[in-house]
Parts: sequence; C-alpha cells; structure tokens
Amino acid sequence: MADLVGARRRSAAPRRLTVPAEGVLRRIAAFLAAFGAGVAAYIAIAEADGGAPACLAGSGGCETVAASSHSELAGISVALIGVFGYALLLVTALLRGDGARMAGFGLGLVGFGYTVYLTYLELFVIDAICQWCIVSAVLMVALFAVNAVRMLRYVGTPA
Amino acid sequence: MSADERRQRLVKLASATVFLAAVAVAVLIVIDQSQTDGGDTSLEGVAAVRADLDGIPQRGLVLGDPGAKVTLVEFGDLQCPACRGFAEDVLPQVIESRVRGGEARIEFRNFTIIGEESVAAGAAAIAAGEQGRGWDFVELFYRNQGFENSGYVSDDFLTAVARAAGVSSIERWNRVRKSQRTIDRVAAESAEARRLGFGGTPSFAVEGPAAGGLKTLGTSGSAGDLESAIDDAR
Repeated sequence: MADLVGARRRSAAPRRLTVPAEGVLRRIAAFLAAFGAGVAAYIAIAEADGGAPACLAGSGGCETVAASSHSELAGISVALIGVFGYALLLVTALLRGDGARMAGFGLGLVGFGYTVYLTYLELFVIDAICQWCIVSAVLMVALFAVNAVRMLRYVGTPA
Repeated sequence: MSADERRQRLVKLASATVFLAAVAVAVLIVIDQSQTDGGDTSLEGVAAVRADLDGIPQRGLVLGDPGAKVTLVEFGDLQCPACRGFAEDVLPQVIESRVRGGEARIEFRNFTIIGEESVAAGAAAIAAGEQGRGWDFVELFYRNQGFENSGYVSDDFLTAVARAAGVSSIERWNRVRKSQRTIDRVAAESAEARRLGFGGTPSFAVEGPAAGGLKTLGTSGSAGDLESAIDDAR
C-alpha cells in the first residue's frame, strides 16, 4: 500500500524535460549544418551547366526538379543559396552568446519556412521529388529544432 | 539576470526574430513566384511524359530502338489540337505495345500548317532533339499547348518546355533553334508532307521491309490502326 502511494506521488510530480547542455546543441547544429552544406554543394555542382544530381533507382525526379525554374532564385541557384545558408548556420553554431543564439534561430526559421515552400512545390507544382532535396529538407528541419531549443533554453544565460 | 527579466528578454528577441524570418521567407517566395509568372514551369504532364518515355532510346526526333525494322512517321504541327489529342490518347498505347519492345520506332517530322509560331516550335523541337530530348520536348509542348497563333509560343514558353524536357544546354539549344539550317529543315519536312499528299495533321506514314518505301497512312486512325500498319510493314 505504501509502495502504491509512493508510486502515485512520483507519477504526479511534474516532469522536467532534460535539455542537453548548450555545448552539445552547438555541436549537433554544427554537424547538421556542415552535412547540409555538403549536400547543397553536391546539388549545386551537379546542376551546373544544366545537369542534375543522381536520383537513386533512376526515378528521374532530380532531373525534373533541376529543370524547373524554381531551381533558381533571381538567377542564382537555390542549391548555392542553400550552401550559403548552411554556412551561416555553421558560423552561428560555432559562436557563443545571445547574438549567435538568436541568429541561429532566425536563420533556421527562414530555412525551415523556405524548405516547406520548396517541398510544397515539389509535391504539387513540379510534380516530382528530388531525393537530395528531401535529405536537405530533413537536415534543415532538424537544424531549426536544435536552434529553437538552444534559443528557448539559453538566451539570457551566460555564454 | 532574474528569471522574469530573462523571460521578457526572450519574448522580445524571439518576437522580433520570428517577424524578420517571416518577412525574409515571404520575400523569397514572392521573388520565386514573380520569376515563374513569365513562363514556367507549372508545366503540365512533366512526370507523365517522363514516365511514358522512360527507358526508351531517343536520337534526334526518333523515339525507339535505332535498329527497329519499322519506322512510324508522324507529320505533326505542335500547335495542332488534334495532334495533342493524338499524343495524349493514342500514341502512348502504340509506344508501349510496339516501340518500347523494339519492334518499331516513331519519328516526328514537322508539317507546319497553322502559322509562323508552328515553325518556331518545330525548330525548338529539332534543337531539343540534338540534345537527346526531342520527344520529351514534343510531348511536353503538346500537353501545354495554347490557343493557335495567340502568341503563346514565346521564348519564355519554349525555354520553359526545353528546361522541363531536360535539355541540358539552353545556350546551345537557342543557337540551334534559331539557325537557318534548322528553319530550313522545318520547311523541308513540311514540303515533304505536302509532296506525300497530306492535307492535315497529324498525318502518318510507315516504312518497313514489307511497306515498299514510305507508305502513307493518312490523317487519322486509332492506336489499333497504327499497330496493324506497323505489323503489316514488318
């Protein structure tokens, strides 16, 4: 009986979510950003001169997406813009302080928002899926989540 | 810094950052949408065309095994609505039943009967063919065809079709499609169609061991008619 009451007390106590130390979050963000920069760089190089990254199983989706005008923004390759964005996210992961925390969150949010838009285009406008773009999208969503946790938990705390 | 001060600072900074990020994403989307209003890409049928032609060799405007004994020739005008109907409703069956397996190949030749825009379209198809994307171009053009001679066959439209067709060098494609050699070829193909006695599009002819040269089939027919003609020409 005493054990049961004790168990009830334990389960009624509010659970505290354990947030990793900021150093761990920064390392995860740095890894994701570096990986993302590599993926975006591969897509940018493959698309140079009108080519396309190699889709697995020869699905042809990568060629279709690369051929779409949505693969460029104001004449600049979206993949190249992605390399730049991931590089900036890498810098925010390497720096300390509130400025870096907020910049990482802001850049992650921009990347997340534009990734949602690009995925919508693939599914409903271009009507093709590029596997490399999906990999990049997953990385960007993860980067946004890590940077959001870093911002929410550590802004206002000593660097 | 107390917990309250920290919370207030967090709310202020996060609100400002979310606002700026939302503005940045909106600007990116507006730029993307504005560049596609002029002629992209929301082209229809890109995936369907790719699936129809996937794995079938192409050379110039010839689709199918180069060693196939029978050649089915389509004389078409890319602006012609009847050709579009044929491309969507009839040819896919013939491609699956006779071309994919290597029994026959299909060649597209221009028969420009509708207007100058047909010549520009035909030349663009020939130029796409020089980069191994001729049939992708023809099929995608048909699926995104506009009203005859309405001005829709613009450089933007042709470029969007070429890009979606997978033409790798747009610069080379532009050079070829605007060359006198290509324009002359469109005219020569149309002259050939008239010489064969065709009066409309799409018109078909078949060439094979049993056909005795290029045998004309006329302007219409079902997939079954074309399949029978191919079988008879073997």
